[in-house]
Amino acid sequence: MVIEPRGTLYPRVKVKDVEKIIESSIVNDEPEKTLLYSPNGNSSSVEKYKNIPFYAKQQRIALRNLGMIDQYRIEDYIATGGYQGLAKALTDMTPETIVDEVKQSGLRGRGGAGFSAGRKWATCASAEETPHYVICNGDEGDPGAFMDRSIMEGDPHSVLEGMIICARAVNSHEGYIYVREEYPLAIMNLQLAIEQATSYGLLGDNILGTGFSFTLKVSKGGGAFVCGESSALMRSVGGDVGEPRAKYVRSVLKGLHDKPTVLNNVESFANIPPIIVNGGKWFASIGTEKSTGTKAFSLVGKVRNTGLIEVPMGTTLREIIYDIGGGIQDDRPFKAVQTGGPSGGCLPKEKLDLPVDFDSLTEADSMMGSGGMIVMDDQTCVVDLAKYFLKFLVEESCGKCTPCREGLYQLHSLVDKMSDGRAVESDLVLAENLSKSIMIGSLCGLGKSGPNPFISTLKYFREEYIAHIRDKKCPAKVCPSLISYEIIEGPCDGCMACAPACAVKAITGEKGKLHVIDQNICDRCGACKAICTRQAIEIH
Amino acid sequence: MVRLTINGRVVQAEKGEMLLVVMNREKISVPAICNHGAVEAFGACRLCTVEITKNDWNGWKNYVTSCLYPVEDGLIVSTHSETVINLRKTLLDLHLARHPHSEHVRQWAMEYGITQTSFEEIPDGDDCILCALCTRICDRMGFAAISTVGRGHGKEVAPPLNEPPPDCTGCLACAQCCPTEFITFSDSGTSREIWGKQFEMITCKECSKPILTKDFAETLSKTRNIPADYFEVCDECHRKATALTMGKISQWQREDTAS
Amino acid sequence: MKKQFSVDPNLCTGCRTCELACSFTHTVDGKAGRPRIYATPGGFEDLWVPVTCLQCDDAACVKSCLVDALKRNPETGAIELNEAVCVKCMACVAACPFGCALVDPEQDKVIKCDLCGGDPACARFCPTKALTYKPSELKASKIKVLG
Ligand SMILES: Cc1cc2nc3c(=O)[nH]c(=O)nc-3n(C[C@H](O)[C@H](O)[C@H](O)COP(=O)(O)O)c2cc1C
Ligand code: SF4
Ligand code: SF4
Ligand code: FES
Repeated sequence: MVIEPRGTLYPRVKVKDVEKIIESSIVNDEPEKTLLYSPNGNSSSVEKYKNIPFYAKQQRIALRNLGMIDQYRIEDYIATGGYQGLAKALTDMTPETIVDEVKQSGLRGRGGAGFSAGRKWATCASAEETPHYVICNGDEGDPGAFMDRSIMEGDPHSVLEGMIICARAVNSHEGYIYVREEYPLAIMNLQLAIEQATSYGLLGDNILGTGFSFTLKVSKGGGAFVCGESSALMRSVGGDVGEPRAKYVRSVLKGLHDKPTVLNNVESFANIPPIIVNGGKWFASIGTEKSTGTKAFSLVGKVRNTGLIEVPMGTTLREIIYDIGGGIQDDRPFKAVQTGGPSGGCLPKEKLDLPVDFDSLTEADSMMGSGGMIVMDDQTCVVDLAKYFLKFLVEESCGKCTPCREGLYQLHSLVDKMSDGRAVESDLVLAENLSKSIMIGSLCGLGKSGPNPFISTLKYFREEYIAHIRDKKCPAKVCPSLISYEIIEGPCDGCMACAPACAVKAITGEKGKLHVIDQNICDRCGACKAICTRQAIEIH
Repeated sequence: MVRLTINGRVVQAEKGEMLLVVMNREKISVPAICNHGAVEAFGACRLCTVEITKNDWNGWKNYVTSCLYPVEDGLIVSTHSETVINLRKTLLDLHLARHPHSEHVRQWAMEYGITQTSFEEIPDGDDCILCALCTRICDRMGFAAISTVGRGHGKEVAPPLNEPPPDCTGCLACAQCCPTEFITFSDSGTSREIWGKQFEMITCKECSKPILTKDFAETLSKTRNIPADYFEVCDECHRKATALTMGKISQWQREDTAS
Repeated sequence: MKKQFSVDPNLCTGCRTCELACSFTHTVDGKAGRPRIYATPGGFEDLWVPVTCLQCDDAACVKSCLVDALKRNPETGAIELNEAVCVKCMACVAACPFGCALVDPEQDKVIKCDLCGGDPACARFCPTKALTYKPSELKASKIKVLG
């Protein structure tokens, strides 16, 4: 909890603390020292959130209002400068100057591909066919990602404002926000925000008395990962099955109902109001030359501080993981970080100093994706990881085209064979060749990037694959078929805790004597190791 | 008019024509099993993929499905580059794993020299390659009686709720166009069964040969304004009747000239 | 003036040269096609009628085709069947009141007369000129099958 304007942060506030906080922070304008954040135990506490490393390296533009305002009150949004961008766009600017400003900002789409938002808007604005549509992609199908959801739930008006400005720029009168059904709170908050904005004259007919009209509806998606793909999304909004459509005409020219359509991501739209208020130049001054501004990530996995972060483009992985994330849990060694969601890529420690921007990530065979970031320590097996993500993609493939439907299925079985110790070296060649075909042959982005989890882990951790295939060993000691649990003499004092814990009764031994695991029975669930308090069970 | 180069040969085409149409006209063939003239190109089988480039692309190449790619001036197309052949082989290899019992699939794979799949064979794999021609053609006929259901590897073609489809008229277009002959039906002289639905056949008034299902004939009469009695006689008996009619007229003429 | 078939059954000897001519004109991959024209008994002694498609104005075959595989060629006036579009539902075969849309089981397709692109082989080869292809005012739709 942050008390403004001082910016005093109280972490993990409990109900009993509230009275003290009000007494000191609000009544006396003094921080309640006992409740402040202290990095290591209780030595020195830090009052202002901006000085805490977790926040110090962050810069919040898209997430500017999260936790700062009451998302249910449009008045709060307006009080922090909300809808000023819209007012400016409608009164002081023309559609052309809005597009120019967005172009100048260098904003690239935050939903994955990183296409220039300004160029997209310009193409739509000049398309002759009418009507034009504006759609916001709030599908956010990446497991573990929650940036877009947080914005839709916590600051819905910022998305609305961005979309209305866009509508003005491309002369659209009808827009949709596509949200998966699994996000009921986001849907509710967006709907409430639409009602409020409409009653304030910021949406609907004759917005702010300027004669410009724009209506906005929330469109609920069935929650398939592939529905986030642009052509599938537009079919779904249009009432068809959410399956990608093969075509070589860009959706900005033939999108919803085959009409010119701007589709942008939630975070992309949330960046628009500050760009209009502060100018494109301001935005372009943040980040790197080719990837301007900031990017939100959901930082998860084996880092100390997990959560939603927003950093200037070009921040290195090391800064994100060590300074903001506070390093790896339990001080274990860092192994890899997965960026870009399930079909993104996996980067090893050699890439820790890689600046996080669209082009650097792509060059390193990963991608920005929508901003999931999963940090892994040495206890993660990359073969197992690839298998996990491939499984997800196999289940999410829409099944329309052969390379993705059959190819990813077979690629998953090959990787499964590797992790099981059933693979031979020629399987690796087969899997690589198959991956190439899936990538060039698939119809939509899901298939085209589907083999990435395999390809990128293979690129950086080839020796680990070889260990699985040739030596039948899992170096990270994860893949169940390639490890064995063994009780070591010495630490084991025959306490008899493990034997009853074993569901398949693989452990024998008498009280006070060394226990033994029968490897033929053991199914490597790890229950014995979890229960042993003597650290007597090792994985080999 | 645009000029493009396909496998080194310069050809002309209308702007916006699909590349596959142009290739077919030029007798340059690639497998294109999810394509059918009655329906829009779909891009599911990916076998018709070709390599394209242009002189000003600085050596950059792209891979596109020819059934869906509108031709442009200056396009340089290669229908059998190494990468493309490799892709087609992989696709056929995958099909062979999934549909090990299909004669058609074996045949297609054989044409690219594949007799044995490199992948794990799916033992209970059926012969449906999920080209969706049946469902798309059914939609095009205006019936939309069947559709694909599910997603990913478990996707299949089925009538709604897996029950006899209420909108099916038994026209057999789906079965006739299925490239692997996966859709089964049975015809007796007086009845037909497809998708688990029974149909009564109209049989020829003259020779009792089955003509088409009553449902289909009724639909055609209603929506296309064709007299119902047209469907009561088979083509052969129609020809016979036509000859008799014309014969009568001629006989009258003969008698006229004789008297 | 528009050219049309003109049939004079009094001249037809039932020699079936028209059928042969048609068949060979529609050879595909060495397989002769099924004829689109049939010399059929006219019901009286020595009276034969070459029954062929009259390319009706308001043709039942065209109306019956739900996928628009049948279209009139503006140059020849023939209603042509586009094999690539045909879905073999047999609607046209059933709908033609003259029985002139039919199935070729050998080539596995639905067929009908295409006027050989404007110079029908059947008429060209008819030894007695019972079948000719020439300018005519007769409206095909005026012919009705008598009961
Ligand atoms: C399989 C697949 C899933 C996608 N899922 C999402 C998603 O959940 N959210 C999103 O914003 N973009 C997603 N995209 C990217 C969209 O297709 C599209 O590029 C994006 O919404 C455009 O907006 P932007 O330019 O603002 O990024 C996905 C793409 C693919 C191929
Ligand atoms: S690539 Fe996968 S998700 Fe995309 S159309 Fe093909 S099967 Fe569907
Ligand atoms: S049943 Fe036949 S036509 Fe239908 S999708 Fe399967 S293979 Fe294609
Ligand atoms: S024919 Fe082009 S993808 Fe199947």
